[in-house]
Amino acid sequence: MAILETKNLSKAFGALAAVDDVSLGIEAGTLHSIIGPNGAGKTTLFNLLTGTYLPSAGRILFDGRDITGTPAHRVAHLGLARSFQRTNVFPAFSLLDNAWVAAFACGPSWEGLLWRRADRYPEVKARALAALADVGLADKAGKPVREISHGEQRQLELAIALAAAPRVLLLDEPAAGLSPEETRKLVALVRALKGRYTIVLIEHKMDIIMSVSDRISVMHFGSLIAEGTPAEIQKNPEVRRAYLGGVAA
Amino acid sequence: MKKENILLLAAVLVLPLVLRPAIASEIWIFAIFGLGLNLLLGYTGLLSFGQATFFGSAAYVAGWLLKHYGISVFLALGTGVFVGAASAALVGYLCVQRSGLYFIMLTFALNQLFYFVAYQWTSVTGGEDGMPGIPRPAFLGIDFNDPFAYYVFVSALFIVSLWIMRRIVESPLGKILQAIRENEVRAEAVGYDVARFKLAAFVIGGAFSGAAGVLYAMLFGIVPLEAIGFVTSGNVVFATLIGGSGSLYGPIIGSFVFIWLSESVSTLWARWPLLLGVAFVIVVLFLRGGVVEAWSRFWSWRSSKPKT
Repeated sequence: MAILETKNLSKAFGALAAVDDVSLGIEAGTLHSIIGPNGAGKTTLFNLLTGTYLPSAGRILFDGRDITGTPAHRVAHLGLARSFQRTNVFPAFSLLDNAWVAAFACGPSWEGLLWRRADRYPEVKARALAALADVGLADKAGKPVREISHGEQRQLELAIALAAAPRVLLLDEPAAGLSPEETRKLVALVRALKGRYTIVLIEHKMDIIMSVSDRISVMHFGSLIAEGTPAEIQKNPEVRRAYLGGVAA
Repeated sequence: MKKENILLLAAVLVLPLVLRPAIASEIWIFAIFGLGLNLLLGYTGLLSFGQATFFGSAAYVAGWLLKHYGISVFLALGTGVFVGAASAALVGYLCVQRSGLYFIMLTFALNQLFYFVAYQWTSVTGGEDGMPGIPRPAFLGIDFNDPFAYYVFVSALFIVSLWIMRRIVESPLGKILQAIRENEVRAEAVGYDVARFKLAAFVIGGAFSGAAGVLYAMLFGIVPLEAIGFVTSGNVVFATLIGGSGSLYGPIIGSFVFIWLSESVSTLWARWPLLLGVAFVIVVLFLRGGVVEAWSRFWSWRSSKPKT
């Protein structure tokens, strides 16, 4: 059964249809990639799914429930967490605090919000540390963000999403701006998360996509033009045309 | 006990011996006001240029009740806290809809609105003449008209305020507000209703401002029109930045510097705000963390120097 579904989802900015009539189903437990050339509307689709933008038309279903129009801060509590294409962390905080803030938000209760010391929430801290351990940053938990490398910041970006203990992870180009070595590390990480979470992945690097995805959807000028397994997508002539600008194929 | 607390306690004990008790009281009152602002400015990253709205409103309402209905000091204080929080809820609700410059201008504009209401409503506020004749009712036989007794009252309330504020900034709420300061978009994405948290910071800050406003009215026996004017809003921002907005203690130090300068230097030199201006420029250009940063830089410089 699809855990996350869109029905005829559209978003227009003026005359530009950034996302155009997209109907997509993400099966629980799978890694579903969304690919497409720059400006195809992939990140806009994420912004719609997470409630950052209000759709112009269409519906979003999460676990069979209509969540269209739910504001971003409520979507996180439903179990939908995202990472950002451009590193989007809390710069003055330690790595632990970065994950802590996300873990607390989706924790079981906000009891003591005003009075209890923030360091007296052992279960929240444990979840934050586990998220950091999942991305391989456990030994740097006490460090401030400015002291870690760009690659590690990308890992932290992921840890913040994981700390919320989500059911669906939306990863927006987790390997953006990484060196080949760092990319390999991150791909290994994503592969390790596969199966534990339902993952929706936006990525540009084809080798990554083809090696980790269960299913792939291809977007072009805001529309879905193909969907299938990596093998099917590789053979699809329309996809090749979209990527190569209609010259070859 | 921590070093900061010992220093503060010493300051509370020594201040009335070296300064007039009224000035010493004013320092702690202004520090309470600054603590409230700094929850917005330092912790949430919101520059409110309208804190006098809450300070003045509380002073007027509690002052009126003290004058005409003879309420007790603690009831006056409670009224001030309530009026400060309620007016901050109203103003904050409107202001948190916008960010950046628009936010600042809204806090300022609404401050002006309240100011002109106070200016025009002479039958209650006394307009430009202020609202004089505010008593300091005795409590359990303690006569607060004695400046020392009132100083003890004010400084005790300051310590309570500081304790409460410390609990707040060390709580999850404090961390969430700082997360909003650091990255509003991500804070929203991980599941916090940013507008509501900003409003909460406003209400808490307003409650502190209200408490300060009432204590101020009782200290001077009058609510001057300036209590609700933008100069008062500016002064508390000034004092907090000079002390250092990055620390819980910054506004306290700032209040000390500001009140002490204004009370001692102003009698010698009428152009004393010039000094304040120079201090402000230095802080903005070279010492973003204010006196607190200067202090910690000094200590790290001393300890890094090889011993001869």
